Amino acid sequence: MTFRQFAYRNVIRNQRIYAAYFMASVCSVMVFFIYSMLMYHPKVENEFMIEIAFRGMYFAQIVLVLFMLFFLFYSMRAFLEARSKEFGILIHLGMERQQLNKLVRIETTIIGVASIIVGILFGFAFSKFFFMVIREILQISALPLYFSWKPFALTIATFLTLFIVVSYLSVWTIKDGELVHLLRGTDVAPKKKSYSKVSGIAGLLILACTYFTMVNIEKSNLLWLAIVVPPVMMIGTYLFFTDSVVMIIMWLRKSKWLYWRKYRLISWSEYATMVKENAKMFFISSLVSTLAFMAIGTLSSMSTFTHQYHQINPVSIIYTSKYQNSYEDAHIDQLTRELQEANLSYQLTALDIRTQTSANSSQKIEIIDEQQFNQMVRTLKLPTVQLGKGEAIFLPYSEDSYAKRKNMQIATVLEENHVPITIRGAYKTAIFSAEQLGTNVIILNTADFKKIIYNVPGSYESNYVNRVYAFNVGNWTETQYIGKELDQLMTNTYASNMESQLPFYYENTGIDYEILRSTFALILFIGILASAVFFLAAGSFIYFKLYATLPREQQQYTTLRQMGVTDREIRQLVNRQLIPQFFLPWGVAVLNSCFAFIGLQVFWYGVADISIFKTIVIMLGILTTVQLLYFYLIRWRYLAHLR
Amino acid sequence: MMAILSINDVTKVYEGKVTHRAINQLNFEVERGEFVAIMGPSGSGKTTLLNMISTVDRPTAGEVLVDGVNPQDLSKNELAYFRRRQLGFIFQDFNLLQTLNVEENIVLPLTLDGMKVEEMQKRVSEIAAHLDLESILQRLPNEISGGQAQKTAIGRALIHKPSLILADEPTGNLDSNSSKDVLELLGKINKRDQTTIVMVTHDPIAASYCDRVLFIKDGEFFNEIYRDDQRQTFFQRILNVLSLLGGHVGDFSSVRLS
Repeated sequence: MTFRQFAYRNVIRNQRIYAAYFMASVCSVMVFFIYSMLMYHPKVENEFMIEIAFRGMYFAQIVLVLFMLFFLFYSMRAFLEARSKEFGILIHLGMERQQLNKLVRIETTIIGVASIIVGILFGFAFSKFFFMVIREILQISALPLYFSWKPFALTIATFLTLFIVVSYLSVWTIKDGELVHLLRGTDVAPKKKSYSKVSGIAGLLILACTYFTMVNIEKSNLLWLAIVVPPVMMIGTYLFFTDSVVMIIMWLRKSKWLYWRKYRLISWSEYATMVKENAKMFFISSLVSTLAFMAIGTLSSMSTFTHQYHQINPVSIIYTSKYQNSYEDAHIDQLTRELQEANLSYQLTALDIRTQTSANSSQKIEIIDEQQFNQMVRTLKLPTVQLGKGEAIFLPYSEDSYAKRKNMQIATVLEENHVPITIRGAYKTAIFSAEQLGTNVIILNTADFKKIIYNVPGSYESNYVNRVYAFNVGNWTETQYIGKELDQLMTNTYASNMESQLPFYYENTGIDYEILRSTFALILFIGILASAVFFLAAGSFIYFKLYATLPREQQQYTTLRQMGVTDREIRQLVNRQLIPQFFLPWGVAVLNSCFAFIGLQVFWYGVADISIFKTIVIMLGILTTVQLLYFYLIRWRYLAHLR
Repeated sequence: MMAILSINDVTKVYEGKVTHRAINQLNFEVERGEFVAIMGPSGSGKTTLLNMISTVDRPTAGEVLVDGVNPQDLSKNELAYFRRRQLGFIFQDFNLLQTLNVEENIVLPLTLDGMKVEEMQKRVSEIAAHLDLESILQRLPNEISGGQAQKTAIGRALIHKPSLILADEPTGNLDSNSSKDVLELLGKINKRDQTTIVMVTHDPIAASYCDRVLFIKDGEFFNEIYRDDQRQTFFQRILNVLSLLGGHVGDFSSVRLS
């Protein structure tokens, strides 16, 4: 038997032990491969939608690799720890440390190569299904299956490197202590639980403070709080797991009336040890889950958002032309042509805009003709306005401005043409943003509108708006390819802060929506991937830990059974032992993300009036169910091992 | 006197690839308040016997009666409750729960049974005084010596006042001084509280602390001797039986390999 054969047989004949590690590796490879397949997809690579998302995907993949490195390393270490007795025997028989390292490296390589092959095979088999899911979520056109060497090369190269790095890293962690300790294996008694009271209280206080801040967040301080709160929350969570939990348990244990009750005696004492030992893992688990919750929650509120977005932006495409604009006809021609080529039905309304000075406030007012306005709102299926002679109505630019002006009544004179008017109330829906048409817009009855002949002096020089073209497109979400050049031009002038000098303004709701959506799609990708890998990591990690301490637990449960603990009670004890491992990091993550969502809600109010509460509750419900299923799976395996 | 434990024609057969008869038609009784040692060479069926008495294993034939109750008639749950209330266990490697301190380990059987905290505390302080464990009550099992650990285990076995205490090689992991302490303690408890103790052991010194020693060999009754006034002579007599028990005369003579 050569050394290599020995290593090989070690793996093959110990399938049961290696199975968990192998499965974890296969799943990691599979997730990574499917992701690479998507990233290198010819359609995804070329299409506009992914512009931003594509760059983000690289970033996500780097995060993914880092996370997997950590995860593989962690499970490898737990796995080696479980085998320390075996290593003790080998060293006892005279194996050199060098040879032991080599053994571990060969074994890791065998498992690594095998899981890369199996993972890629499974990944390739499932990628079509995955593409279908992605297509549904992102509402993009079909993604056909394709074959390219790139995803294969990327996956193989990445994971070979990962496994080699992990194998070198993990041999360091084999305890180089006394042989006796190795032979005794994992049956090492738990250390005395030490904790710092200061850190424990600090952890609780910090968390309470961040929660309080999130509840009381306001639009004005949203930005800097969004930068400050997450790291503080992280510190709080870390301290919570390292010190606060142990502190609380120790404190509870002081009361014998609470503590000396049935299984509490056993389970509470175990919690303290368990939390202390796994604090870092719990911390990372809850951090990643929080991230995953946030991503999935934000995205799941997108469906609400689509609907709302249309309500805030009722006009699909807006083209605003100023006095100096010599491209007006050419641009409108081009837009209508593009819409026709794209087979999108549309209704176009042109609104003439007059700018006048109000005698009352000596401010500039933009004036829209009642007739033209009604023509436009009819296409938008909004109510029309009826104005008598001398009457006008405000056209608000936002909900807030509507609230302010709905009860206002102002009598004024349009100075340049001496037209006396009374502005009474406001139109119910905001149609144009302040950016598009200014903050002072009124709709004037047609008779008076015709009296406006003289413009404000300097209309040409100060670049006042002359005409607005409103396109109403039924399938407004599909307009992202219309007027791309104009949009590009707008973006460039914005970037150089020259937008006031441009003789026109162009806004395509479809493009804006698409950009928002693809940004969210990116978050979803990272979220789904992170949570998939996280589920895997957390579950497998708990499994490894259980596996490592199995002999000790077996003996403990035998003792308890002999002392007269019934099988049902033992199952309850196992529950009590497993539930916190599964649900403590989970619970903290849910709590953290709930409060983060409360903060986010304020942001949503800023962008759009959306309540994301319901979708978040549903989403948390589904994820909790998945976690519960996973818990039952692991418990089932564990109980089977204990018998 | 009434028998607290009676073994009637008990046979235990392990079915498997090789059928193995661990206990064969064994008969004996233990009186209330007796301190009995069961001795025998390795593989003689001592542990199997103890497992059957402790109701974690069932005899293939015959019956085991503990305080007049046949555990075989009880349901699984009733069996657990029976063990919890009627039996106390002492193990070779103590089997203390590593996460509980000494005091908590001792009260464990009571908490499992849902007793009032005041009563538990009263009993713990009584037993701790009795076993001389007061100074180490707050320590964890890995912070105390083997002797102290076994005393803790004895405390745990006594606290619910069981009718029968079963000890499986209680001195197997202890040095001679701790062994002596533990055995004297068991003897004292036996005399003072009239607690019945059945102890399985290899060690003739340990056996010499008992009232009666029962020898089994290959699962069958071999001999039994009672204690007399002098522990020294009792010890000598145990050794005599053991030397008979040791094996066949022919074991030493054969040089040939087949």
